[in-house]
Amino acid sequence: MNHSIPPIVELLLFPGGLVLLASGLLYEFVDRKLVARFQNRIGPRWFQPLADVIKLLAKEEVIPAGVVKGLFVFLPIVAVTAILTAALYVPMFGLKPAFSYPGDLVVTVYLLSLMTLCTGLAGANTEDRFSLVGATRALTQMFSYEAPFLLALLGPAIALGTWNIGEINAAAHNNLWFIIAQPFGFIAAVIGLMGKLELPPFDAPEAETEIVAGALTEYSGRGLALFRIGRDVELVIGLTLIASFYLGGLASPLDFLWKTLILLLVTAALQSLFARLRIDQTVGLWWRMGSIMVLLQLLVIVIGKLIAPLFPFLSGG
Amino acid sequence: MTIGSMLGDIVNSFFRKPVTEKYPFVRSETPDDLRGKVVWNPETCTGCGLCVKDCPSDALELFTLDRAAKRYVMLYHMDACTFCSQCEVSCRSKSITLSNDQWELASTSRTPFDIYYGREEDVAKVLETASQEKTEPDPEGCE
Amino acid sequence: MMGAENKPEKFVVSIGPQHPALKEPGHFEFAVEGEIVTSATARLGFVHRGMEKGTESRTWVQNLYLMERVCGICSAVHAMAYAQGVEKLAKVEIPPRARAIRELVAELERVHSHLLWLGVAAHEGGFDTLFMLSWRDRETVMDLLETITGNRVNYSANVLGGVKIDIDDTKSAAILKGMDFLEQRTKHYMKVVTEDETFLGRTRNIGAMTLEQALRLGSVGPTGRASGVPYDVRVDAPYAAYQDFPVSIVTDTAGDLEARFVVRIKELYETYRVIRELVEHMPAGELTARIPRRIPEGEVISRVEAPRGELLYFLKSNGSDMPERIKVRTPSLCNWGSILATAVGHKLADMPMILAGIDPCFSCNDRMIVVNRGSDQSLWTWEDLRQYGIEYYK
Repeated sequence: MNHSIPPIVELLLFPGGLVLLASGLLYEFVDRKLVARFQNRIGPRWFQPLADVIKLLAKEEVIPAGVVKGLFVFLPIVAVTAILTAALYVPMFGLKPAFSYPGDLVVTVYLLSLMTLCTGLAGANTEDRFSLVGATRALTQMFSYEAPFLLALLGPAIALGTWNIGEINAAAHNNLWFIIAQPFGFIAAVIGLMGKLELPPFDAPEAETEIVAGALTEYSGRGLALFRIGRDVELVIGLTLIASFYLGGLASPLDFLWKTLILLLVTAALQSLFARLRIDQTVGLWWRMGSIMVLLQLLVIVIGKLIAPLFPFLSGG
Repeated sequence: MTIGSMLGDIVNSFFRKPVTEKYPFVRSETPDDLRGKVVWNPETCTGCGLCVKDCPSDALELFTLDRAAKRYVMLYHMDACTFCSQCEVSCRSKSITLSNDQWELASTSRTPFDIYYGREEDVAKVLETASQEKTEPDPEGCE
Repeated sequence: MMGAENKPEKFVVSIGPQHPALKEPGHFEFAVEGEIVTSATARLGFVHRGMEKGTESRTWVQNLYLMERVCGICSAVHAMAYAQGVEKLAKVEIPPRARAIRELVAELERVHSHLLWLGVAAHEGGFDTLFMLSWRDRETVMDLLETITGNRVNYSANVLGGVKIDIDDTKSAAILKGMDFLEQRTKHYMKVVTEDETFLGRTRNIGAMTLEQALRLGSVGPTGRASGVPYDVRVDAPYAAYQDFPVSIVTDTAGDLEARFVVRIKELYETYRVIRELVEHMPAGELTARIPRRIPEGEVISRVEAPRGELLYFLKSNGSDMPERIKVRTPSLCNWGSILATAVGHKLADMPMILAGIDPCFSCNDRMIVVNRGSDQSLWTWEDLRQYGIEYYK
């Protein structure tokens, strides 16, 4: 920690806390607006996600019969906590991460997947048909998309020889952008992120026309608001990670802004292009294509590192 | 087999203005044949009553004030009307038409929906008789 | 989560009456094991409005507008079938121009219905972009219908004895322009539907129905034609102006969801061709024929081809100005059996698309069906019906 902002402000306001939540809502707005423009519609106004959250918080939280009450109330809180904690290790808004130590890459990815685990548990907790089917699908999808995502993030880590996100961020800035050096890894990372966030076309776990709302069907009021906020912040963190690893590191807030927005544009375009894949198709597709792509990429990186000492003019991967 | 066959569409849509019409700030023109509010002309009406008989939702009522002088008053229940234009077709003297620019007919109370057509003095007479009838207590108690 | 694995426990997922997949209420129960559906049942009747009973207390003229509101999407063909039936009872021939305009409105409605269905089926499959863009293009035909008939839905173009609208040159020009635009967009959608990899993954070999199955289950309309049933009322029993402006029948052999998409889009091509022909060669003449107010006694069956299949009206008159009995049999009712039989063995995720594949119109469906359970009475009076209702709900 190397700065003049007092830690408590940093935790609650900037770059954690309220500003992080606000940025999550902002990114949700941009995402929805982009998808709407791709479909020739107007889309929501800038305060729509905020209005949604306020409306949800004002509604009564209905706890259905047959659930374990403590778990029902506790799971959304755990999910949001995990996400907000993960933001501490990531270079949010182009500033240095609040905490930094070797191996925090693994911790961050684990915390991000904790949210999906909470969703799955929340669905399994109820007796509702739709939630159970949604929970099964969410957990299945988590298994197929977490591994390639982590491996894709490992690509730059191995190339730079460190597991510390802060160092990767700084070093990526000085080298050739990894999107050019490791294109397969980039594709795997973007699609892995979309699968983790259950964005279309990988939204089988919360397919609106098949199982109403998937694992979160029984949630309302505060619980649903927390899950939604968690998802939005996860979107921001995921984009930041990919931008800092593959798009040459984040050196300043402006850098952060334009790089993540470009990524968001690409993600929104991918969202509008395809029909929803069935759960067996998502898993089948990614366990085959995704893992192969990522493993090939890692092979190339390892080979590259081995032969790099023979070519001193090649720096990094 | 193509992947992303709608790519041309989404790129095209991104650079076009959205097709959503921003009603009520922008109103598109209504066609001439739009079936809007029913308008009745008391001067040409012959009092045959076919419009009243043929209306599928009983939205028209005809009051006869003077048969020989052809003085009628029509009560049009706009909330029951389905704007089907059968009255326009049934009328032999072309006294009833559906307007093509009065179609924004929503209201927050019931009163604008009972429309009396006719000459002013005739309408006043009909309303007077109606209110006189109403001063007797109505057992149903509705309206 | 789902009970002990060894017990053959039935895990029932019910879709409806309230469900985002359904546009109108209907209850379907699917017994699933994991994701595979093992049995399917349906329960309809949520939108029963008592229209057939309502026709008995309204005059023939008033019933025209009541019958038009049986369905919102196929309202013009309901009115047309009713008007045709009444004209047959009264033995009145309507002038050729009226017949041509009736066919024009019916075909324009077919365009609107198929484009609507394309969007809805795409939405069920999660392809929201196709949904939004096909509905955007559908606005063209809705505006055309508003220009011609005066309303976007419930066109009320038919009267007993003919039509009440006329087509002049400006309207003809607008129709031709609209058809050109729509044809170009439809060609693009055909490409998307038959070539897009993700969409094919949701529609190819899903819900396949062989020709024998289709004939046995009595499928009608594009659902049946997608399996090869060569039956189209416009071709086999031409009505309105279909003798002079015929359409060719469009069939496919695959019988799966993709075939249903392809059949409907090819029907759209046929429809554009027929509309252009009608507009360019509209016969001159009057619009209505004189029809009496009291329709002579008799019984008649009137059949038309709705966008969903064969629509049948049975009209019975007792000589007065109110009908004695009107019975409506809509095509969606025939097609339910086909999905319930072919749904077994598919995954749960395919259910909404299979349901949407037959183009269900629940409002059309809900007529009164009585299954005779041992009683020998075939005619129920109003009192019998009331008593039955009271007993049923006890």
